[in-house]
Amino acid sequence: MIKFFKKLLPPPSWKIPLLFVSGILMGLFAFLFYISKAHTYLSDDPSTCMNCHIMAPQYSTWFHSSHRERAVCNDCHVPHDNFFNHYYFKAKDGMRHATIFTLRAEPQVIFIKEAGQEVVQQNCIRCHGDMLNSGNTKMYTTQYDDFRAERHCWECHREVPHGRVNSLSSVPHARVPKPGSAVPAWLNNAMNKNK
Amino acid sequence: MKSISEMVSKKPWLGWVLFLGTIGIVFLLGLLAASIIERRAESEFTYKPDVIFSETEPRNEIWGKNFPREYASWLETADTNFRSKHGGSATRDILEEDPRIVILFAGYAFSKDFKQARGHYYAIDDIRTTLRTGAPKEGSPSPQPNTCWTCKSPDVVRVMKQKGVKEFYTGTWEMLGSEIVNPIGCLDCHDPKTVNLFITRPALVEAKSLLGTDVNKSSHQEMRTMVCAQCHVEYYFDKKKYDGVAYLTFPWKNGTSVEEIESYYDSIEFTDWVHGVSRAPMLKAQHPDYEIFMTGVHYKRGVACADCHMPYINEGGQKFSNHHVQSPLNNISASCQVCHREETAELIYDVYSRQDKIKEIRDQLEIQLVWAHFEAKAAWDNGANETQMKPILKLIRQSQWRWDFVAASHGSSFHSPVEVARIITHGLDKAREARMQLQKVLLSLGVKNGIPYPDISTKAKAQKLIGIDLASLQKDKNEFLKNTVPSWLRKATEREKKYNVKYLNAE
Repeated sequence: MIKFFKKLLPPPSWKIPLLFVSGILMGLFAFLFYISKAHTYLSDDPSTCMNCHIMAPQYSTWFHSSHRERAVCNDCHVPHDNFFNHYYFKAKDGMRHATIFTLRAEPQVIFIKEAGQEVVQQNCIRCHGDMLNSGNTKMYTTQYDDFRAERHCWECHREVPHGRVNSLSSVPHARVPKPGSAVPAWLNNAMNKNK
Repeated sequence: MKSISEMVSKKPWLGWVLFLGTIGIVFLLGLLAASIIERRAESEFTYKPDVIFSETEPRNEIWGKNFPREYASWLETADTNFRSKHGGSATRDILEEDPRIVILFAGYAFSKDFKQARGHYYAIDDIRTTLRTGAPKEGSPSPQPNTCWTCKSPDVVRVMKQKGVKEFYTGTWEMLGSEIVNPIGCLDCHDPKTVNLFITRPALVEAKSLLGTDVNKSSHQEMRTMVCAQCHVEYYFDKKKYDGVAYLTFPWKNGTSVEEIESYYDSIEFTDWVHGVSRAPMLKAQHPDYEIFMTGVHYKRGVACADCHMPYINEGGQKFSNHHVQSPLNNISASCQVCHREETAELIYDVYSRQDKIKEIRDQLEIQLVWAHFEAKAAWDNGANETQMKPILKLIRQSQWRWDFVAASHGSSFHSPVEVARIITHGLDKAREARMQLQKVLLSLGVKNGIPYPDISTKAKAQKLIGIDLASLQKDKNEFLKNTVPSWLRKATEREKKYNVKYLNAE
């Protein structure tokens, strides 16, 4: 077994060139990680979603809604039923978004996909469950399963929280957090000194 | 001097230094590359004109050098592949699809040739090729005045500025043939100094001031409708204002509804033409798009023409208006779904169902009108007199005016379906009244059998019935296109060479 692996290893004479090649690859990978701000994707900070500027309408409409006080993007758009599903869905959706953005394949008017709708619906219920089963609202909701379960909250609450106008170009002047320059301040300063 | 590989095999830590050092250098090179790319990207966000042109520059391609996104999308108005259920950008022969219209326009140029309008890109080509402008040559001028050029080109802005408005409206159509060569474009709607929207056609300013509004004080959102309302409106040529001048005028003195415009035309005893079959004094509705749009719910909610026909789009983080002016049915996403979050197929169904239903009742009115024209003809043929016929012909005029107001207005059945249905209903009522009275007249003249509905199942049959010789008209037109138009173009090219354009980034 070990012999087999040893066969796969390159001969010692390759050592130095390989050292450089793998160094270059690792360097490029580190740079890609840095420039795409990959580390931010582990957080729940809404400004992470603004790494792609086409999310500006979603960010700014949320920022002007009451949900801003209680919920960030991930509270609604990522499942919270269990730890694994949470990160699995986040990774899956994130990869899809990153791919579409990188390929410049985004539509002018974005619609939420079915899988995403289900997640949001469950998250509405996660926080607003009281509205569905409190005694006060019983008269509206006794037949929840029969009549309401197949509808989404936002079929009626249409403005919550992103408003009624949906387009990549709906809020061209909104002040939203931008990814900023990839060039670190020290490098900028160094270059400015040379002037 | 030892080789590196020997040094590394003696001191393994040196290998690690080289490995990590390479990572560090590549990373730093990446940062440097990022810095360079950012500086390059900055140029995209700075407005840097490539050319400086004069305030009367009519050529869209020259403007396009400074505004490449808008120009590139404007060029797409050349696309003729989109065909919706009732419209689109493809050429449709309206007379072929609905030969009844040949009869309705008997005695008028629209019975010769009537095609669905193509994109702005073709404005000049199409006015040259339509049979309605005739085939002018030495000694036989076009049947149309120069005023017909008014909505076709940014050259109009230039010539009006140089010659004067009244002078522009003087003379026959071929006189400005070599002057008006660029299709509807930039200078028609944009101030060359600020590129803000502005109004270039005097008729709109004059009509709006009659209604007590100053167009130039419109908000930006209103301007995104007003620039379209310069042309997409009902108009007529006022030949009484100045002697020998066909002065383009919007008939809005009493208001913009179908009845108010009619009352204005009646008050000045205006008639577009005398009908070739019934001899009724007719009105031709041009394209009251803006007038009907104003009665619809989208207008009421503050939606501008450009919101659906030139929706905002985002390209590379830059917001701009899509200058591919077209049917929103070809761009449901950016046009409808910005506000209406329904499925594309649902939205298209909603539009088609309105259009189908209006078409249904509009067709009924057309049939009644064709019949009325032929019954009137029968009455004349059997010796009816002027006094008997006058009230009937007036009813025919009123009925067809209502039909035409709806039929000529682009997108009317979607822009305002309820208003359009109301207008058609009154049209049907007028046609019914006309035909009732015609029956009485015919009976009094001893005509006991009903007048049969003519065989107008094809365009050719209908045109033959009213005596149009399409072949000879087309032959003259082809000669005109072959002999006259090239000389217009040569003159225009010579003139355009002299326009003042400064290239800033020329090699």
